[in-house]
Amino acid sequence: MIRVLPFLLYLWLVSLHQVILNDATSIYAATINIPAVVVILIGLYKSELDACWFGFMVGVVTYAGIGDSMGWYVLVMALLGYLTFHVRAKVNLESIYSRVLLVLVGVLIHNVAVLIMAGSDGVFYLLVTGVVTGAVYTAVIAWVFFLFKEGKITAKKLKAIF
Amino acid sequence: MNWITNLFARHWRNIHLLAIALLSVILIVAPSVVMPTVNQAILSVFYWPFAEIKTGLGDLHAVGEENHRLRQMLTQANVNLSMYQEAVRENARLRSVLGFEQQSGYILLPVEVMSISGDYFPVSAVINGGSNDSIFVDQPVINQNGLIGRIVSVASDYATVQLLTDPSNRVAARIAQSREMGIIRFTVSEGMILDNLPVQGAVNVNDTVLSSGLGGVYPPGLRVGVVSSVERPELEPFCRITVTPFVDFHSLDELFVLNMEGR
Repeated sequence: MIRVLPFLLYLWLVSLHQVILNDATSIYAATINIPAVVVILIGLYKSELDACWFGFMVGVVTYAGIGDSMGWYVLVMALLGYLTFHVRAKVNLESIYSRVLLVLVGVLIHNVAVLIMAGSDGVFYLLVTGVVTGAVYTAVIAWVFFLFKEGKITAKKLKAIF
Repeated sequence: MNWITNLFARHWRNIHLLAIALLSVILIVAPSVVMPTVNQAILSVFYWPFAEIKTGLGDLHAVGEENHRLRQMLTQANVNLSMYQEAVRENARLRSVLGFEQQSGYILLPVEVMSISGDYFPVSAVINGGSNDSIFVDQPVINQNGLIGRIVSVASDYATVQLLTDPSNRVAARIAQSREMGIIRFTVSEGMILDNLPVQGAVNVNDTVLSSGLGGVYPPGLRVGVVSSVERPELEPFCRITVTPFVDFHSLDELFVLNMEGR
């Protein structure tokens, strides 16, 4: 049970983002894809099965209420966790920038998959305004996260600036 | 017994991956069987607490401002009400003279939005009212600004609303000023558009678009939006009309389900 608790907290973080933070943090059509980032981070730092199960659960939580195509969205999220783990196992991700690049590519793939599954018109319009810009925006947030995690930015350093 | 334990131990990883794939396939092939239970569980465990916080914070922030605004609106509404009551009496009198049937009224069921789905634009919203609250499929949903959409699925304590911004949604509409009729639909590239209105039709920028009542789902007279541009292509039979909706679909909170009296 204790092992599951952090994952439950991450799922609540995803829900918090979906309900409250999504609108507040979006810039025009570009939104931070927190669900995909959290799945990628779990793929980076935890085991393969953790990443897959967590991806599955994030898919269920994020796309509850989307309609009949929910299963496809869930599958894509689980695959994202699976692929991230295998990329991490095969590629050297020591540098922060390589991890940011992984987040950028992962979120981009997820956004494109979601766009295709949504099957709406104006695909090229959304590709520019939502998919690519959203992936870049998310990668920037992930970069800041990695800087904090690696201790490149600390509260002390921030205080020194201001 | 031992060989089963060994089998599980040896294929532990594959069994997990297979379980994930199987669960995903179940969600894909039998959404109508699994989804109501899954959605209800997810919404009550993960979304409900944050939806409550969001509503509470929003209420606190807006309550003073809203109170002031509502007092002004109440005064205006009282004036309108007296005019409306006079019009209703006149309408009833004229209907009886012409032998028309009386129209049935609607009751407003207040509900709150628990979550909004859709990746680049809102497509559907889940509300905190269901069949226990006399909410049924195809009931129209509005807010104080205008038409939101219609109920497409109902569970005991929640329901899903298909928003006007769902590209597959259509609303029979008319121009309030000229009574010209068309169909409202949403496209990603152009936004909300009014289709099927002939080029010679009387429509101008800033005209109000209302639901026409045709089709039977939405009652007539619900506010949809205002005409923001009109093009009349020479070689085409219909105008190209874009409409700015009265409702901001990115900030939905309190909604009303229109419940027909006697249903």
